[in-house]
Amino acid sequence: MAMNRRDFLKVSAGTSGSLMLSLSLPGCSGMPTGYTQETGEWKPDAWLEITNTDEIHFTLARVEMGQGTYTGLTTLIAEELEVDPEAITPRFAPVAPEYRNPLYKLQLTGGSTSISTSWEPLRTAGASARQMLIMAAARVWQVNSADCSAAQGRVLHPNGRDSMRYGQLVELAAKESVSYDIALKPASEWKYIGKHRGRLDARAKSTGTAVYGIDVELPGMVYSVVTRPPRYGARVKAFNESDVRAMPGVLDVFEIERGVAIVADKYWRARKAQDALKVEWDNEEALSLSTHEMFASYRNAADEDRGESERSEGDYEDSLEKAEKVFDAEYSQPYLAHSTLEPMNATAWYRDNSIEVWAPTQAPDLGRIAAARVTDLSPSDVTINTTFLGGGFGRRLTQDYVEEAAAVAYRIKKPVKLIWSREEDTQHDLYRPAMLHRMQAGFEGSKLIGWHHQIVGPQLLDWYVRNAAPAQHPWAPKFMYDTLGKVGLLAEGIATPKDMSAIEGAIEYPYNVDNIDVRHTHTDPGVPVTFWRSVGYSHNGFAVETFMDELAHEAGEDPYQFRRKLLMGQPRHLEVLDRAARLANWDTPVAQGRGRGIALFKSFGTFVAQVVEAGVENGAIKVYKVACAVDCGQVVNPRIVEDQIEGGIIFGLTAALYGEITYEDGQVQQSNFHDYQLLRQYELPEVAVDIIKSTEAPTGVGEPGVPPVIPALGNALFALTGKRQRSLPLKADA
Amino acid sequence: MALSLTVNGEQRSLDIEGDTPLLWVLRDELGLKGTKFGCGAGLCGACTVHLNGQPVRSCSTPVEFAAGGEVTTIEGLAEDGQLHALQKAWIAEGVPQCGYCQSGQIMSAAHLLATNPAPARNDIVAAMTGNLCRCGTYSRIIAAVESVAASSLAYDASAAGQER
Repeated sequence: MAMNRRDFLKVSAGTSGSLMLSLSLPGCSGMPTGYTQETGEWKPDAWLEITNTDEIHFTLARVEMGQGTYTGLTTLIAEELEVDPEAITPRFAPVAPEYRNPLYKLQLTGGSTSISTSWEPLRTAGASARQMLIMAAARVWQVNSADCSAAQGRVLHPNGRDSMRYGQLVELAAKESVSYDIALKPASEWKYIGKHRGRLDARAKSTGTAVYGIDVELPGMVYSVVTRPPRYGARVKAFNESDVRAMPGVLDVFEIERGVAIVADKYWRARKAQDALKVEWDNEEALSLSTHEMFASYRNAADEDRGESERSEGDYEDSLEKAEKVFDAEYSQPYLAHSTLEPMNATAWYRDNSIEVWAPTQAPDLGRIAAARVTDLSPSDVTINTTFLGGGFGRRLTQDYVEEAAAVAYRIKKPVKLIWSREEDTQHDLYRPAMLHRMQAGFEGSKLIGWHHQIVGPQLLDWYVRNAAPAQHPWAPKFMYDTLGKVGLLAEGIATPKDMSAIEGAIEYPYNVDNIDVRHTHTDPGVPVTFWRSVGYSHNGFAVETFMDELAHEAGEDPYQFRRKLLMGQPRHLEVLDRAARLANWDTPVAQGRGRGIALFKSFGTFVAQVVEAGVENGAIKVYKVACAVDCGQVVNPRIVEDQIEGGIIFGLTAALYGEITYEDGQVQQSNFHDYQLLRQYELPEVAVDIIKSTEAPTGVGEPGVPPVIPALGNALFALTGKRQRSLPLKADA
Repeated sequence: MALSLTVNGEQRSLDIEGDTPLLWVLRDELGLKGTKFGCGAGLCGACTVHLNGQPVRSCSTPVEFAAGGEVTTIEGLAEDGQLHALQKAWIAEGVPQCGYCQSGQIMSAAHLLATNPAPARNDIVAAMTGNLCRCGTYSRIIAAVESVAASSLAYDASAAGQER
């Protein structure tokens, strides 16, 4: 859903005759615009601020969590503004309707959408500001503005000698008006887009000066830790308050919605006091299942309910009757933790009947709702300051940690920083859901004629709408939050499309098969779940591309050629598949003791194919090489695209080799990096990424590297061992 | 307990419980926020600093063990206003993504190069394996360390006989 530039730019006369550019989203405006005499600042739109001393500030409305918005979005606006991206100082956006993600109508960073949703608006904003500066200069020089140009922060006179700095022009530029249809630069004139350039945040992140949420420091700040129930959903029955109060440095201990909060003058003292805390839990409504029971409940649900039809082509039942051979397989995947290296944390300060929060969050407007929900304040009394994020991967879309910090701050009325331990971060995460997939396919002769995919598991919006719905309807009174949370988004229809989280990637099955039947059996065992890098694609990719590999082998065909034949009319799929195969020398024999596997998966608009070369060494799976071809449309920064794809591959390999959260009697069994392992430096395979040159609109890169690598590795192990693994994580001795 | 230690060349005196991890002393008592908390158990390396020239996991090092010692953090790596060669390489290679682990990564690499100015790739991998990166910047880390190792070889060759 690209925003039309005509919709996006709305020009109206300001009070001083200056012009304001603003987003034409509902409920918008309110942003100060135009030129401010006292400060010498010109704000041509919601993003830019140029001072009469040539400082250029850019309000970054998509948070920086490693994926590169700080550099990429700045590059977009710099390109059209005709300044070096290095000359721009990005700053993190406050909560305001102007900064919402148009796809979600929420101010959130996720779904690999930052570049694609900013591609037109930010370039247009840069071009509009540039045009106003040019027009101002032309008026001063008494020349035709069409004969002037801009470069390196200056407007150039047609005589080729004279020029004026942007700073000299801002006051005049504020009086200019721009037309709706400013021509954007053709690709041939780009100086920064598409060029291999470094990251604007690399220096701060290499000198220890980048400020993450955990680094926020406030005067008189105290520290809080929270003991949460071992079993999700349990309630506090009683706790030894006086023992905890007697511990050194303890300022307060009290119950909050999620557990028992301790506040102390120092973090370590809060942790030591936590060791002394004994909580008795009421487990009546608590989770009590173990992992094997959860999967048993999935199988029961799948048996009882074939599920909602999500895609139907031809007549699958009919094709089954025609089929000479029918194959079935069941795949399963475990719960997965996010394990951002910066644990959950937030800092909050309640004073003067309002609350200010500093947090590494992917969704500041949801953070505002979360803070209001646990206090007597309304969302407009809550200010959210966003910091750099030490990883996000979807975890920081949920605002539970902001909620906790706000609840504690509201009670103690001092600035307070609340930090989760790694153990807490692992055990009280909201996970990538465990999923079950039942697959079936039929052949008539050597032709694949039927494809059936039954997806079994929860939907994420069931867990997510609680804060999202009120954030989209900020005028709603608080007593309606719960109702909105349950029905608001979906009933509204316009706000959020259908919940695709369980089925995405499965319904876009790209192969030419006449009869296709994709279904979702909705079942939820009550484990908290949320978005996890590549979301539904992460599990559907494994099911679809492993089953395709099984079918290729059943048909006695090469897995690459088998896919290839079924991709007629899908040129972009075919191109990445061919390129990955070529990059991996698919047609040459693999070294002794190794196997090669291939997989292809489109996600977030981006086409990715990967070939993995793997073996088993000293009783462990060893990944030697990953060859990857990616088509993400126009590339803004090739180096960051490579990094995101390679990072996605490592994230996917971590899931394939190690990722597994398990439950015993409702309790998570993993706690820290010894039993919830991440891929380490010594395990790094040789990764080659081939980016296809394209002039198509840009699509996502943060997530699409993840899905194909998991089946590609499984398929490589099958090629080596002849044993098919249908559940994750993969085992060396399967 | 009262104790003192030298941090980035500066003598600092404190009165604090001796079992407080060095990490929280650096971050909260001395205001050096560049060193990060990742796991609290010495498993991820985000909190790596140098204590008397050795890399230690400050999250698992009680401050009393560091008493009287010399600590170097990411903030103390630059000399005479010049970034450490590794920091320059990190910027040139564009290593950081989220960046949260990178202070620890750089401190581990700095110790490696201080003891072995021309490490082989295996040496680099071995030295860096204790530092986790969730974003997956591992190959850029190797490239950055190798670029510094290569330039130090060139330097050594041009200044033969001089101490590094």
